[in-house]
Formats: sequence, structure tokens, C-alpha cells
Amino acid sequence: MSNKFKNKSKANITEPKTKISWKEIKQQKVLLIWSAVIVVYGVIFYYLPLAGWLMAFQQYKPKDGLLHSKFIGLAKFEQLFTDITFIRTIRNTLAMGVINLIATFITAIVFAILLNEITSRGGKKVVQTISYLPHFLSWIIVTGILHDALSGSGIINEVLLKLHIIDQSINFFAHPGYFWPIVAFANVWKETGWNAIIYLAAITSIDPSLYEAAAIDGAGRFAKIKYVTLPGIKPTIMILLLMNVGNVLNAGFEIQYLLGNGLVQSVSQTIDIYVLKWGISQSDYSIGTAAGIFKSVVSIVLIVIANQIAKHNGEERLF
Amino acid sequence: MKKKLVSILLVSALTASALTGCGGGSGESQQTQTTDSSSGETSDTTGDAAGAESTEGSGEIKEFTAFFATPGTEINDDNEIQQIIAEKTGAKCKETWLTGQSDSEAVGTLIASGEYPDFIEGGSGTLQLYEAGALVALDDYLDNYPNIKALFTEQQWDQLRQDDGKIYWIPQFSCIKNKESVCTHNDEAFWIQTRVLKWADYPEIKTMDQYFDLLEAYNEANPTMEDGTTNIPYTILCEDWRYFCLENAPQFLDGYPNDGSVIVDPDTLKVIDYNTTPTAKRYFQKLNEEYKKGIVDPESFTQTYDEYIAKLSTGRVLGMIDQWWDFAYTAGDAIRQQGLDAQGCNYVPLPITIEEGIQNQWHNSGGVLNVSSGLAITVSCEDVEGALKFVDDLLSQEIHNLRSWGVEGVDYNVLDNGEFSRTPEQVAQAADAAYKASHLCTYSYFPQYSGMSDDGINANKPEGQPNEFYANLQSDVKECFDAYGVQTYVEMIGTTEAPGAWYPMWSYSNTLTTSTPGGTAWNRMGEIKHEYLPKVVMASDFESGWSEYMDAYESCKPQDFLDEMQAELDKRMEEAAKYN
Repeated sequence: MSNKFKNKSKANITEPKTKISWKEIKQQKVLLIWSAVIVVYGVIFYYLPLAGWLMAFQQYKPKDGLLHSKFIGLAKFEQLFTDITFIRTIRNTLAMGVINLIATFITAIVFAILLNEITSRGGKKVVQTISYLPHFLSWIIVTGILHDALSGSGIINEVLLKLHIIDQSINFFAHPGYFWPIVAFANVWKETGWNAIIYLAAITSIDPSLYEAAAIDGAGRFAKIKYVTLPGIKPTIMILLLMNVGNVLNAGFEIQYLLGNGLVQSVSQTIDIYVLKWGISQSDYSIGTAAGIFKSVVSIVLIVIANQIAKHNGEERLF
Repeated sequence: MKKKLVSILLVSALTASALTGCGGGSGESQQTQTTDSSSGETSDTTGDAAGAESTEGSGEIKEFTAFFATPGTEINDDNEIQQIIAEKTGAKCKETWLTGQSDSEAVGTLIASGEYPDFIEGGSGTLQLYEAGALVALDDYLDNYPNIKALFTEQQWDQLRQDDGKIYWIPQFSCIKNKESVCTHNDEAFWIQTRVLKWADYPEIKTMDQYFDLLEAYNEANPTMEDGTTNIPYTILCEDWRYFCLENAPQFLDGYPNDGSVIVDPDTLKVIDYNTTPTAKRYFQKLNEEYKKGIVDPESFTQTYDEYIAKLSTGRVLGMIDQWWDFAYTAGDAIRQQGLDAQGCNYVPLPITIEEGIQNQWHNSGGVLNVSSGLAITVSCEDVEGALKFVDDLLSQEIHNLRSWGVEGVDYNVLDNGEFSRTPEQVAQAADAAYKASHLCTYSYFPQYSGMSDDGINANKPEGQPNEFYANLQSDVKECFDAYGVQTYVEMIGTTEAPGAWYPMWSYSNTLTTSTPGGTAWNRMGEIKHEYLPKVVMASDFESGWSEYMDAYESCKPQDFLDEMQAELDKRMEEAAKYN
């Protein structure tokens, strides 16, 4: 990797800034036209909708539309940040986001490395396939399974009772303390196999001669993982970590919505649920948009910070 | 799948409305979208119409779409009675129902997208639809449709006018045609399985304490069903909006009717908050005690509606509070199908109050005009007249009989005196889920009648036909009724006149949104009650749990809500006074 950096800096020094000439433009006409299409697409589908952010500064009424609703400045944001429910949803979203990030991240890497250590090709394939299948289940199914498994007469309680670990079945969904771990577990169960694929791919691209050299130098299994595999997939890890940091506030909607109930609502509701409950279903679209803007801004800030840290440490980064 | 859809919509909803907003009234983008979706439907229609033409030779069959913001079961596309009605009226309607979300969530999402079906029942989101300009005013049309017009009196129609003076929706369930004829108690009650009553030799149960004593005693003597399944003495449904099964009993226990969100004192005409009455505290304290004794199902507060219905369907649950319509057509039918009446697993309502000597008002006679929601036609409907004609046709006695009774000779028989009657087999068939989907088509969220048919002999709905009703009662219910010397569910629980012109207040509180202080308080109160009521019931120390709840409750500013309810109550009384 350090090599790559050197190349890059060298390139910067040696190549003078090329001037764009008409001749060159003509030569690349087709390329330019195609990229223009992409730019137009991006503008229409990613930037035009941002006009909807106006709603957050209006007393938006669907009847009046965006152009005729009354402007009220930052009143909706004020309302948001004085609302204890919203503050709580920020906490929940961040907490679940971070827990999920760490849990799914670590399990995926560990799983990929373990899988890589399996020498039997068939076994590896089977395990891999089985492990990523849950990714294709929708949350409604996963939560259904969870709800059954964790219910008073579900398999978990049955097993714990039969093993005499507990003497009365635990009502997992009635305790706010269990909610975040359950969500994290569900995420891990569903996504580990899928997330591991990209690391497995990265591992495959490590030059086998490095392993041979390490073996000659007397490296055992663990030493190989530590000195060859992990450094080999480090760039991948960093990039994915950065991208996921930006996603922390997307801690989820479906799973919390589906698993939540009155008793645990103080820990289960995320920003997305807040938008649905207090924005869409109360037809207060303005407050929903304000919450959405808040979420986007925080995500951007998070990603920039993470990127700067990576840059500072000389690691792989996004921009 | 629906959940996925919701989330996708959620993500794109604001975006979508932004786009429509940009269109700024020209609604060009909206237009194209509408055409797109309707062209899909048109091709459908032509397909169906072609089929109809070959058999009927009549004109094209119009196909409408409807969304009802209430849970329901879709019927098959080739449903037989739907086809018969389509041939007779020249129109049919594809109905879709709420799945998963709450009504206002679904409606809010629809508004954000700006696309609507032809017909809509918005539940508690109805007012939002009106405010978003999604509904068509019906005033100019109503006079052309005699059946629709005849549903209500002028006064009732006036009650339906919105602040712009126009009528936008037609309540479906508020018309009693001719004489009232009710046998089922279609409302809320403490329900109990007949086997419990039978075991105790049919005692008079009048108070909440007696009710729970009986459940306890029975459960101690009979902890399991015949097949060894453990009984659940008492369960409480409290998923989302259905938590009325937990929260609103205090109003009934004090002998008030189902105003739903407040008590109205009929003498002083003042609203009273039932959440904080001494009765409320006693009720929750009782639940707390029973919870500790293991009588209240520990899964009560975490179960979903489906899990609850599944539980009831097994016949394990001895008693609960619920609305008849919330369990009878699902769990009730399942119990019938499995022949669990032999074990006495059917439910009957009990006239329970907090103390003896209070006149209960669990059941009220006379129709309730729910002004807060009804069947509406949206601006996306391209053929408003056709749609209204369809509704009008559905209200003709012939079609209405098809909807509620079915096909003569197949679903019911006509006796020599003209009376409709059903054999036990026909009754069982009508309770069968597969048969309902393939054969019966009740258009259950379109306007309909209860009461007596125009022929003067039959009830508009089978459940209102006394002879038929009694003859086809489940064996255990019949035995129970005989023991108490009654013939119907209504007699079992007793009945009173509908209380007054304001009734029911829930039709107003249902429409409150966070746009007013009272609405904000109402939503916060709901939120707090969802969290704290279960906590109170499960609390190891009830008193501290209760005071914690009361603190949280007061922080929602319930007075704002009560003030708005009082204002509405005054307004309603004023309006009603004009007609006296």
C-alpha cells in the first residue's frame, strides 16, 4: 500500500496539468455524451428531490404544495429538538447503529477469515452458501422467526427451561434491556454471511506467494492470519468501515418497527419510526422532513470526520 | 413484503411529494403516473369485460379500486358473488386492506405519493385526506342516487359536512333500515368462555371482582383443556391501536357508554377523563394483582394481533376484553370450525361494572353515526358518477341480500312464509375462510344496512335474524343462553338507549392530529399509555408504578385535549339543538 502512495505522489509531481483542447474534446465526444447522461440522471434523481427539503422550513400542506405553503423558518427544528421523544430516538438510533456496526463488522471479518482457513473446498462452499442465505429473507420473516423463537413458549425459553438455567420463561420483548442485543443479534444472523463475501474476495486476491514466504519464515496459522491476511484486507476493511460509518444513523426501520411494542418503545424507536409516527401519520410532513434533514446532515458530518481520521492516519479513504 | 414497501415509501415519500410539489398545481408528473397505473387496470378491466360479454352480452364491466385503512381479508379475483353483482350492476371493485401499518400511517403515505384508489376509507386518517384535497365533494351528486341519499336524515347529512360546508364521505355502518334487529353484541365487553360459566353453574356475574374470582376458581379446578393444553385465564391484546382492550374499560366499569376517549356526564354535559378516575386505578390495580397471581397472560403486552387471534382460536383463553368484531370473525369462526363448542370454548359477554347496582352501557341500541370516517371517492377516480352508481346499486335490496345473505338456494333457503333460513351446514360454510374468499362478497366497507329488509320479514344481515340466529347458535352458547333465560347476546349483556346527540366522542378524537395542542396531547397520552399501562400492570409495587404513570401522564398536558373535546361536545349539542 505504501507503494501505491508513492506512485500517486510521483504522478502528481511528474505530470504537468494537461490543458483540455477542443481536439481532445472532439476525440472523446462519445465518452462525454455518455457521461453527460449520467450527470443529468444524477441531477434529476439525486439533487432535484432535495428541493423537497424546503418543506422543513414551511408549514407544509399537501393541498397548497411546496410553492404555496407558508414559510415558518426554523420552527420545525426547534420543535424537534425540544421534543424529548425525538432526542430519545436519536440516542436509540445512534446506539443501535453503533452496536450493529461493530457486531456485524467484527463477525463478518472473523467469519471470512475462519472460512478461509477451511481447506476442504466443498465444505467451504456449503458453509458460505448457507450463511448468506438469510440475507435474502425479508425482515418481516426474520422478525416473525425471532418473535416465535423468543416467545414464552418458544425454542429459546424451552431450551433454557429444560436445561434448568431458568425456572420461569423469560419474556424477552417485555424488557427494554434486551431490545438492543436482540436487534444486534438479528442483524448479525441475517447479514454476517453476506458481508463476509467481500472480505473473502479480498482474501483471495492476496498473493499466495506471501503465504509461502511466511510459511518458510516459520509462520504458523495464527501468524499467517495476523501478518498476511489481515494486512492484506486492511484497505477493504477501512473503505467498508468508512462507508458504514455514514450509515450509522440508518440503524433500521423495519426491525424496530416490527419487533417494538409499547413496553420497549422508549428504546426501540429510531429516527425513521419517528418520521413515520409524527411526520407521515400525523400529516405533519414538515417535521418528518426536518428529522430527515437532521439525519442526512449528521451522516455527512460523521463520514467526513471518519474520512479525515483515516487520512490523518495515512489509511485508505473515500475522498 | 408490505413492510419493505412501507420502508421504501418512507424513504422516497418526501422525495415524491417534493416532485409533485415542484409540479406546482399543473400536476403533470402526477398525471402521467396516474395514467400509468390506470392503464394497468384498464387492461385488467377489458380482460374481465371480455369474459362478461361472452356470457352476458351486456356492456363493459367497470372495475374500481378501493383501499380500506382497516385490516381485512382480500377475496379471490374470480369470486362468484362478486361476479354476479358485477353482471347485475355493470361494475366491480377490487378491494385492498391495511396490512401491518396503522391507518394513519397508510393514509399519510398515500397522501405523500399523491396517488389514490377510486374509493377510500381512511379510518382515522380521513380528515387528513380531506385536508390534502384528495377527496371529491359529493353534494352535487347525492340527489341523483336515491339509495345513498336515503341512508341518512338531513340532520345526519349535515353532521357530515366539513368546514367548507360539503360532504365528502358516507359512513358505512350507521344506517338501520326499517326496524332495528340486533342479536349479537357487536361491541366491547368482558367476554368469558361458556365452559367457565357452566362449571360454576351459571352464576350471576356483575362486577369485575366476581369475574376474576370466577376465572381464578375455574382455572384452579381445570388448569388444562381436554387435550391437555394449558388454559390462559385472561389475556390482554394491546398491539398498537387495539390497546383499547386494555385502556378504555374504566369508562364502561363506571356505567358510561363507549365515548372511547372521554366520559361525558349526561347531566352536566362535561367531559371527564377516564384515565384518572378512582375506577381506573381500581381496574389497573386488579389487573396488577391478577398478573402477579399468574391469571393475566404474561405475554399480553408483547403479543401481536395475529398471535392473539391464534391463541384465542385454540380455545385456551378463558376470558378477555375485546370488541366482538375484533375476534368473532376470525377466532370465533376458527372455534366453530374445530367443533370446540363441545368443550364450551365460545365466548359470551357479561354485564360487568365496578360495583353492583350500576346500569352498564356496554351495549347501546340505535345506530351510531360515526362522522369521522366513511367511504369516500378520491380525486384519482375518473368516473365519479359511475362509482356512486355502483354504491347506489349495492344498496338496492336485491344486491344487498346477495352481499349479506349470499345466493338463494346455495347460501340460504326461503321458507314458505318468505323467511330466510340457513341450515347448520350453510352456516358452517359461511364461516369457512376458503369459501368466504371464493364465493362470498360482502363489500363489507361499502355502505350497508342493518335492521329489517324491505320485505318486512327478514333482517338485512343474517346475524340480525332472530329465528335463524337462535337456531344456529353453537351448542354451548345455546345451553348458556337457556340457563340465563335469554335468546341473544344483547339480552345477555343488557341494552340502553344511545345516550345523546354528542355520542360518540371518539369520532372526534380519532381525527385529532398534532396540528393542535389538544391533538398533540392526545398523541402523547397515547404514547405514554402504551408504555406505562403495561408497566403498571406488571409493576411489583403497584402504588409507585401508578404514581410514576400519573406523573408521565400529566406531563402530556391532558387538559389541552380535554378542552378541545369539551369544545367539540358543546358544538355538537348546539348543532343538535337546531333540529329540536
